[in-house]
Amino acid sequence: MNLEDLKQRWEDQDRKLDATLKLNRQLLQMATLGKAETALRRLAFLLGIELLLDLPIALWLGSFIVDHRHEIRFLLPAVVLHLFVIGLIVTIVRQLAAIGSLDYGAPVLEIQRRLESLRIERLRATKWTLLLSPLLWTPLVIVAFESLLGVDVYARFDMSWLLGNLLFGAALIPLAVWISRRYAARMERSPFVQRLMRDLAGYNLNAAAGFVDRLARFAEE
Amino acid sequence: MATIPRQERFLSLLDEHRKILYKVASSYCRNEADRQDLVQEIVVQLWRSFGRYDERLRFSTWTYRIALNVAISFYRSETRRTRHTVPAEGSILEVAADAPAPGEADDSLELLHGFIAQLDELDRALILLYLDGNRYDTIAEILGISETNVGTKISRIKQRLRRDFSRTN
Repeated sequence: MNLEDLKQRWEDQDRKLDATLKLNRQLLQMATLGKAETALRRLAFLLGIELLLDLPIALWLGSFIVDHRHEIRFLLPAVVLHLFVIGLIVTIVRQLAAIGSLDYGAPVLEIQRRLESLRIERLRATKWTLLLSPLLWTPLVIVAFESLLGVDVYARFDMSWLLGNLLFGAALIPLAVWISRRYAARMERSPFVQRLMRDLAGYNLNAAAGFVDRLARFAEE
Repeated sequence: MATIPRQERFLSLLDEHRKILYKVASSYCRNEADRQDLVQEIVVQLWRSFGRYDERLRFSTWTYRIALNVAISFYRSETRRTRHTVPAEGSILEVAADAPAPGEADDSLELLHGFIAQLDELDRALILLYLDGNRYDTIAEILGISETNVGTKISRIKQRLRRDFSRTN
């Protein structure tokens, strides 16, 4: 038996499908005209919500920076937070633009390459958000307390408390990466947590980069 | 006003090419629930992209591209097991009750489906297009690789198949 024999069997089955395969038009109309969405449009929707949440935060931080431009102790943490939020906004806009320009009717390799680039962008954003969150906690407390409650954290807590928080955050990063690498495989019962752990450990990013390499080899060989 | 004729046209074109959806979904999913999810995802994507369909391209080529793009993404999606968008009461593609399920028709087809399942997502697309009787230039157009590359890859897959069969027998 070789591929040509199997091709013949495939063609026989194909002819039988003409008679046995039917389209369910009613369900089809529900799927096309109803509320069914593609995975990408669901992602675009979630990104849109994220953008709507990030924009007021960026504006709030911008306004805080202007108000405290002469107070370096408030200015510095606010600028750090602002840069982080702007980075998030940029990556969201880039992802939305990439989704908007995708035409699934283009050749398979081209679309897969673009989809994988999009995936890599999303994975990087998630990884850096997770990694930087423990470090951003302290500047957030300083800015939020001053802005929302009028409380000067520097006066209320001593410097060693603030430094301790920063150091604890810094120590948490390698610990979180180590835990993710060690236990991600065991989190099958919580797919969401498992995905976050795999994102943090860099497994999903490596897999995406590996697929991009495979696409390149497939095109070149 | 123009939506209804456009929708009717889409539905009739889709009906003509329904076998492509079935074969792509069967090649990328062996589980019935996943297959139904994938068919729905392909149909929704086809409809959403229909406005951009360039009539210079054959509808079958365009359908293959979209179906394979969606199928490969679906196959690679880590969340596919938890996502079920199709209502349980039916499926968009219905196979007559007395017809054999994919891969159950006879031993050689079962063998072929088993072989396809061993291929990675890109080789799977290539072999599916080849088995469906597409010419090398059409396969190249659908996948976005050169015609020579298509020939080289198919010849490698044939060799691998021969090797696998001789090992099995």
